[in-house]
Amino acid sequence: MSTYEHGYLIVGCLMLVALVVASTPLLLAACLRPRKPSAIKQATYECGIESKGDSWIQFKAQYYLYALAFVIFDLETIFLIPCAVALNQVGFFAFLEMTVFVGVLLLGLVWEWSKGVLEWR
Amino acid sequence: MNLSDLLPLLRFLAPEILLSALALGALLGEAALSRLLGVEKRQNLLGWLALLGLGACLVILGDQAARGETLALGRGAFVASPFNALLKTAATLAVMASVTMGLRAPFVRHVGENYALVLFSLLGMFFLLSAESLLMIFVALELTSLPLYALAASQKGARRSIEGGLKYLLFGGLSAAFLLFGISYVYGMSGQGSLAGLRDWLVAQRTAGGPGFLFLTGVCLMIVGLGFKIAAAPFHLWAPDAYEGAPLPAAAILASASKLAGIVVAARLLLGAFLPVAGNVLGSPLSWHAGWSPAVAALAVASLTVGNLAALAQRNAKRFMAYSSVAHAGNVLVAFLALDASGRPAALAAPAIAYYAVIYALTNAGVFAAIHALAWGARGDDFADFRGAARRAPFPAFFLLIFLLSLAGVPPMAGFFGKLFLFMAALQADATHWGLAWLVAYALAMNVVALGYYLRFARVLWVEPAEDLRPISTPLELRVALVALALLVLGLGVFPSSCLAAFRTMGGVLLLRG
Amino acid sequence: MEPPGLNHWLVVSAMLFCIGAAGVVLRRNLLVVLMSLEIMLNAANLALVAFSRYGNGLDGQIFVFFVITVAAAEVAVGLAILVALYRLCGTVRVSDIATLKL
Repeated sequence: MSTYEHGYLIVGCLMLVALVVASTPLLLAACLRPRKPSAIKQATYECGIESKGDSWIQFKAQYYLYALAFVIFDLETIFLIPCAVALNQVGFFAFLEMTVFVGVLLLGLVWEWSKGVLEWR
Repeated sequence: MNLSDLLPLLRFLAPEILLSALALGALLGEAALSRLLGVEKRQNLLGWLALLGLGACLVILGDQAARGETLALGRGAFVASPFNALLKTAATLAVMASVTMGLRAPFVRHVGENYALVLFSLLGMFFLLSAESLLMIFVALELTSLPLYALAASQKGARRSIEGGLKYLLFGGLSAAFLLFGISYVYGMSGQGSLAGLRDWLVAQRTAGGPGFLFLTGVCLMIVGLGFKIAAAPFHLWAPDAYEGAPLPAAAILASASKLAGIVVAARLLLGAFLPVAGNVLGSPLSWHAGWSPAVAALAVASLTVGNLAALAQRNAKRFMAYSSVAHAGNVLVAFLALDASGRPAALAAPAIAYYAVIYALTNAGVFAAIHALAWGARGDDFADFRGAARRAPFPAFFLLIFLLSLAGVPPMAGFFGKLFLFMAALQADATHWGLAWLVAYALAMNVVALGYYLRFARVLWVEPAEDLRPISTPLELRVALVALALLVLGLGVFPSSCLAAFRTMGGVLLLRG
Repeated sequence: MEPPGLNHWLVVSAMLFCIGAAGVVLRRNLLVVLMSLEIMLNAANLALVAFSRYGNGLDGQIFVFFVITVAAAEVAVGLAILVALYRLCGTVRVSDIATLKL
């Protein structure tokens, strides 16, 4: 065994010991404690205040739309960057193609704008 | 590439370019008009413009088919051929029927977006029908499916629409993931991105020790993905919910054009690229050869069983059509297995699959258009709501009967010849030993069941008494669409052999060029 | 010790794919199900890039570009439908959307 793998062996041993040390008290407690489940024990702990409502609260949908639009436009750069890097090799035709591509994206942006997606209310 | 090369390119890509322009135009039209016109006016105006554009597409496609020229771009990324133009024509016709259905039924608030989604989906189908490379197939398949997910869920106020759309999305996403993972193995082991390259590589591997385990795993994963797309059992679970939840015009596309594209791409992949690893399922299971055939045979048997038996138990017209579509996927898969003992497909197989897919798409578009016309005066789309509808609206009910008979495979209709050719191809494959007789016999038995449930639907329309006798009026454009589709279905049935011959001579037919 | 080779990447990618598939089938929250779908797509991406890196040329990496975009579009549609579902029913749990049966 090389010293390289030997180093990992030590880390592995340490992890094992850590696992045992951390889990033994928990297991012991689970075996020894009396079981008295009640609704109040199941409640979410919120620094002593009684929890209200559902954890699935509703955000404004406008925010979602904004985020979705961002994701889509953000991703288009993965097509733009390779083209920009290799522009000298791929030539004028590829430039035209990318112009059309960006043009289509621009139309999409115009549509979003007119639909009011870009207004952050 | 020079600008002088651009002109022929533009000519071959004209339908796709026109369609993208139309879809973007629909979006911008909605944006510009949404404050000027009411929903119904926009629905009408944009719908007619879309129909006009699709009509122009038909003209261009007809011209392409008539010229008989073929162009292949970028290692099979896009192949424009007369045959592909014909398939695209069928898909366009089905989508036109769907747009016509939506003209006067404002089922969504965002009408421009609705049309844009329909057109983008058709654009995806165009690319799918022209794709002979793995990358293009994946991207086109997603371009076809993504708008359909949104369309299926487009009735935002109706819970079943959203749930249907969501299920369609989840199953569709799962199928895309399986397909892509399969593609990654297939590409990785062979290093080939084009279907023709894959086939040549596989042929070369016959003498070099076989394609290897990972490649075959990839092929199987791709079959799972394709099975989802064409709704073959046991991957059909999305279909009933998506069909039932989707508004009728969207369900019409799901059942017709999208299915056509799925069947064609499955045939290109399995009978084209992966033919050398087909194996066979001739005779008894002991004499089978490993390959994709046994898997596809299992799908075919499962689809025939589940589709036909479950359709018997349905009470809702749309769910009924979904199970009918599962059954038809089973029918068409039978012809995929029409390979002789040395692995060559029967001469009839590919043309029969294409003929069946086209007929099926047109017939199903007709069924949904007719159901749409009848549902105008009905409370819902359960069978009970259509009771005695023939008395209230004889015109669409008559055409629905024609389309149902075609689906059932009653002789003068095209559907009969579609099934006939499929099963003939299967018997032709190993004619001396009746190798596929077991499967054909089973398919025939299941089609007898199918005849029963199609006639039951017809009985609900024509024989059962109506509770409500107020006549249902059918708008003119819907009548025209019904007549046109019925003429096509009957016409393709009157000249089945010449259609098949045309499909065959158009070169390459379904299989790859070169 | 030798550096990781093609097989290592393929094992990781297969594991990712299985984790994703298990997530789609087992998880109860639809958002997590969507994420699991993405994991499956990314497993395929990893395999494609690995194949591409170990001798198959650049095609695989180009493929991945398109897959990333397609995956984003799929998530956009999925989230849109999910928002619509939440507005209508106030739930994003799988068990609550089982009104449509076989």
